[in-house]
Amino acid sequence: MPSRRFLLTVSAAWLALGAGARAQSAETAAIAFVKTTGGRLVAVVNGPGSAQQKRQTLTQIIDQVVDVNGVARFCLGRFWRLASPAQQQRYLALFHQVLEVNISSKLGEYEGVRFTVGRAVPQGDDIEVDTTVYRPNNPPTDVKWVIANPSSNPKIVDVIAEGTSLRLTQRSDYASYLNHNNDSIDALISAMHHQVEQDRASG
Amino acid sequence: MRVFFRTAPLWLTWLVMLGLTGCAKPPPASDPDALAYYRETNDPLEPFNRKMYAVNNALDAAILKPVAQGYVAVVPDAIRDGIHNVLGNLTTPVKLSNDMLEGKPRRAGDTYMRFLINTTVGCLGFFDVAAKWGYPDHDADFGMTLAKWGVHPGPYLYLPILGPNDPRDFAGFGVDIAADPFTWVGQGAAVTALGYSRWAVTAVDARSRLLGTLSNVKKTALDPYATFRSLYRQHRRSQIQEMENDNRATVPAWFQQPTPAH
Repeated sequence: MPSRRFLLTVSAAWLALGAGARAQSAETAAIAFVKTTGGRLVAVVNGPGSAQQKRQTLTQIIDQVVDVNGVARFCLGRFWRLASPAQQQRYLALFHQVLEVNISSKLGEYEGVRFTVGRAVPQGDDIEVDTTVYRPNNPPTDVKWVIANPSSNPKIVDVIAEGTSLRLTQRSDYASYLNHNNDSIDALISAMHHQVEQDRASG
Repeated sequence: MRVFFRTAPLWLTWLVMLGLTGCAKPPPASDPDALAYYRETNDPLEPFNRKMYAVNNALDAAILKPVAQGYVAVVPDAIRDGIHNVLGNLTTPVKLSNDMLEGKPRRAGDTYMRFLINTTVGCLGFFDVAAKWGYPDHDADFGMTLAKWGVHPGPYLYLPILGPNDPRDFAGFGVDIAADPFTWVGQGAAVTALGYSRWAVTAVDARSRLLGTLSNVKKTALDPYATFRSLYRQHRRSQIQEMENDNRATVPAWFQQPTPAH
């Protein structure tokens, strides 16, 4: 009859091993996700088709792989709670459109892009995957992809380029805009609307 | 450079006076959210900073940006990279001393080897051979050194010509200029001219490498000033973090390794 202490030790070791393996598999899953997603994005950017077609395909991929609503909520910070449901809906819709505009405006700069995937590091509940992005005539850039729920439903929640987080930067932009416009969410919404309209007019 | 030094106290006084007149009032304690935002942005000189931002934008649009665009249009990529490498190589003395002051011997070793290799094999620094030989480039300046010593950055500062800054990094910038042997070596018109051209080329080189980034931010941000403020701080924090995390062993792999301190 094995002693109770022995059984406890074994089960504790088994649990620890299990947790370790799970963490390991979460990191592997995150790396695999970044490889596939990055591959899909690069294929579209470097592939055939007009800028308009590429923009559409990219938008579809982005909506699948990025937690756009989550990022949008993060970027609004404390003002998300203060917004009315109608304002929230309007803001989310515009956030998707602004993201699309921003990505497509950079399409040209990324032609010929390729990337390599490095290691994955757990960061709280998320996992950060290191990549190096190579663009023709540009120094290589370190880009970290922050992946939420890597094992079950992986989604990109942030991109950190050379130490600067996209969502943090966006949040401070909105926070400052709101601060200089009497904390009016309607003012922010109309400014975002203006951005999208401007792009329509020029594109 | 020497004129700059002689007039530095004047400039500083002017800056401080402008800064004091343009101080923003903190929000009242009855508005905790606004107060939290005020503390988080840590930009009490915002009105002054925004004025300087506008001044710099005007200067940039009139002089630096067109020159940088011309530089990119006229000079081929490979030559521009070479010039960038030469300028980097010239910063070796400052970088090396900061690596040492930060207590990072492996980084100091990298800087030293980079200088030896690139100055000789790399044709006076034109080619970055050292990076391919396992001595990658890194950042080091006295602002980072002060951070390593526990100095906080302080409130945000947007300075004429220099742009995004904070008191710690501005002090670091001054110390780096004073520590640079090229500031003191030689006399006469030729040396002075060389010194000025080095700074001018450095400015054009730096601006040309930011052409895409800056115009993108200005195009996509609702408040470019706040976006640059956030980007500057995040970038500095990541440079400092990278330096602090660089704890490569100084003992050869075949020698008994010291037990890491906890």
